[in-house]
Amino acid sequence: MVLLFLAAAVLFAGVLTILYRGQWPFGPGAEAPRKAVVIFKTIDYTNTPFWGNVREGVISAARDFSIDVSVRGTTSESDIAGQVDIVRKAMEEKPDAIVLAAADYNILVPLAHEIRRRGILLVCVDSFIHSDDANVRVGTDSYEGGQKCGAAVMRYVRPGDTVAVMSYVKGSSTAIDRESGARDFLKDKVSLLGTLYSDSDADKAYVQAARLIAETPALRGIVALNDPTARGAARALAESGKTDSIALVGFDNSFPVLKFVERGIIRDTVVQNPFNMGYLGIRAVRELLNGKKPQPFINTGSIDISKENMFLPENQKLLFLFPAAVDR
Amino acid sequence: MKIRRIQNSLIRAFAALIVFTIVLLGALSYYFLQKTLIQNAEATTMQLVSQLNRVIENYIGYMDDIALMAVNNEDVRAFMRSPANDSPSLRAKISSSFDVIRSVRKDIDSVFLITRDGRAIAATQRSGLNPSVGLTDRFKELEIGVAPGGASISSAHVENLVDDRYAWVISLVRDMRAAPAGGSVGLIQVDLNYEVIASLCRNIQLGSSGYVFIVNRNGEIVYHPRQQLLYGNLKSERISDILALHGGNLSTVVDGRGILYTSVSSPETGWTVVAVSYLDELFGMIREAEYWFLMLSLLAFVSAIGVAYFISTNISHPIESLRRAMQSVESGNFDIDITVSASNEVYQLARDCDIAVKKVRDLIAQNVREQELKRKLELQTLQAQINPHFLYNTLDSIIWMIELGEYERAIDMTSSLARFFRLGVNRGAETISVKTEIEYLETYLAIQKQRYKDKLSYEVSFSPDLYDRQILKLLLQPLVENAIYHGIKNKEGPGLIRITGERRDATMIIRVSDNGVGMEPTQLGALTNGQIEPSRTSGVGVRNVQERIRLYFGPDYGLQFESTPGAGTVATLRIPAIGGDVN
Repeated sequence: MVLLFLAAAVLFAGVLTILYRGQWPFGPGAEAPRKAVVIFKTIDYTNTPFWGNVREGVISAARDFSIDVSVRGTTSESDIAGQVDIVRKAMEEKPDAIVLAAADYNILVPLAHEIRRRGILLVCVDSFIHSDDANVRVGTDSYEGGQKCGAAVMRYVRPGDTVAVMSYVKGSSTAIDRESGARDFLKDKVSLLGTLYSDSDADKAYVQAARLIAETPALRGIVALNDPTARGAARALAESGKTDSIALVGFDNSFPVLKFVERGIIRDTVVQNPFNMGYLGIRAVRELLNGKKPQPFINTGSIDISKENMFLPENQKLLFLFPAAVDR
Repeated sequence: MKIRRIQNSLIRAFAALIVFTIVLLGALSYYFLQKTLIQNAEATTMQLVSQLNRVIENYIGYMDDIALMAVNNEDVRAFMRSPANDSPSLRAKISSSFDVIRSVRKDIDSVFLITRDGRAIAATQRSGLNPSVGLTDRFKELEIGVAPGGASISSAHVENLVDDRYAWVISLVRDMRAAPAGGSVGLIQVDLNYEVIASLCRNIQLGSSGYVFIVNRNGEIVYHPRQQLLYGNLKSERISDILALHGGNLSTVVDGRGILYTSVSSPETGWTVVAVSYLDELFGMIREAEYWFLMLSLLAFVSAIGVAYFISTNISHPIESLRRAMQSVESGNFDIDITVSASNEVYQLARDCDIAVKKVRDLIAQNVREQELKRKLELQTLQAQINPHFLYNTLDSIIWMIELGEYERAIDMTSSLARFFRLGVNRGAETISVKTEIEYLETYLAIQKQRYKDKLSYEVSFSPDLYDRQILKLLLQPLVENAIYHGIKNKEGPGLIRITGERRDATMIIRVSDNGVGMEPTQLGALTNGQIEPSRTSGVGVRNVQERIRLYFGPDYGLQFESTPGAGTVATLRIPAIGGDVN
């Protein structure tokens, strides 16, 4: 009887040890690592440091919230088919969550639906899709960003002046919202020209802007709604020599854009907070995994940057990427 | 019931003891482990942070050495003193000496020289100075922070002095004077690649999510791995509390997580290096210790219960068998050996019980023997009494006859008496056959008939199957005697005595009835109890019969009288039908 007792005790301890295997089953470290695949519009960080900043936020949050992340994307922002392929492959890996910056507002909708159908969480960052499939959306309120562009240009032009709006990819959600924000702000104050689309191509934007400047002598302001468009337009404006008469307001903060701001060619640029997008996107994944319900839209905000405030300490960190930080 | 209680209370006591010990030990070891871990963490982290601080001080020292070297350089002094000395060759000479510094020390991002009048030279002329920067304005901005003839250190910032380049650097700015008494003519700025400081901080591992950050004396962040989160209010640090410490440890809760701040302040750089350790990570070891402790506790608990069970069984088993033996004794069975398989006090107790029980058994046996002997002696005494009693009665009759001159009858009676005794009244046996007893009785009746003549008549009728049964001798004669003396003698006219015997199952029922005067109930009771000394000797006889039956056959048998005054008396004798052929 006593031997039986002792044997039972030893057996019990043995079973516990096997269960333990270096892991304390009740501690916080016990859960299996959660996996998230993060898909950007592009991973060409040199041309679009914006995504490098998003990535920095993603990696910081991955460490803070113990999530395994894998960051992917095409080398070109306009390669929608390429992104569709990446999303499809990511789905096959059965991650806990997919964090997606949709390259197209409509084309990725069926895929988003499929992601949710397979029980994978979907968090959209920066650019959204035309469906309710995303659990959480994290990004700049693009309409508000567009309005800020409008407000910025209004500081340099007089009411009734001629202002042009240059957009980028027709059909991209951010482009649609930024444009309507800018147009809604400006429509009663100035005379607006029809929208041009650069397809996020700086050279195309340059050609469009050069023609616009040459053909429209009354032009007093240009709102360029994304970074490559602003870059192209700035180059055309600089070459035209009309930097004093035409106020150019851009969007985002690539190195060339900042350089143009410093030189006073781009008067203002509306800057998003890509780091926070990445960080809060992953934090939303953690909250969803923990069974919490984060708010469905997290606005990471945008600020107006000009030559005067670009080197303020709080803005330096936002505008200039740490050299090695991306590789951490 | 009692046995269970011994076992249960033992187990309960063991369990309570073990639980108490475990809880006490657990609390103590948890407390000491936590204390030790915090102390160790504080010591280790302090060492790391101090080391980091020394390395940073060294870097800043190098930067100042470079700045001093530049300040004391004759070419530099000449360039700064007057725009008149400015020439492309001097600029090239100075610039190339700055380039030498840059190429020797990769951690130096750039070296600049700015004069009050807005002339500047940079180490690298690759892309020239940034035309967007107003150099006189920049001089004024930089001059603010620098004491005359001294140096200042900036926090991390983006340097835009070089065209087409935005570099994250930490700048050391040193003031330069043309003469000891004169005002500042120019500034030397040495930019340390920010990545140097950042990677030094990053390389320090503090648990899985701890980190190091640096603040300057104004509370501005020099380095923080989550600086953007701080700006975005997604994260906070207790910077003012840390600066108030002037180096040391601070345990606090930030953003809902327990944190240990360990900081070292450097008077040389004015920076405070702060390490952030998360307490829950420090205590990961405690969690593991908790696990092992719990497992060992379980093991100890189970074994303790096992041991308690073993010990209690060892005690309670022998007690249980002893109890069962004693229960058997209680119910009257003394014929047992009390043996218990144990080698402790219980064994001794059992042995003592065994001896006691055996002694009791012997005493009982002795008592039984003595009682038997006593009974025999009493019976013998009673038997012995009956013979003279009968003899006196008969001799009385004979004397009485001789006095009346009835010699013939006296002769008959004497011969009847002689035959009566010859039949063996005096033989040693206690019992005789019913048949012999009847013969005694008839002899006696014959004697009494001669005495009472026609006044007495009698009938004797026994069931023949009783003849061979055994009966105590002279059991019936006293009853008949009683019937004569108390029934017939005082009756007017003749009386009849009827003696019948029959068997009912295993019982012999003998009745002696008369139609004499009968008895009053009080008289009847006295007769059977023997409390009132009856007249003459007949009472002695009846009591003798009663006592002999009780002694020989036990209390279930005996003599009963029924009497109706004026109508007669019936004596009923009930004894077991023993002996003879049962069939």
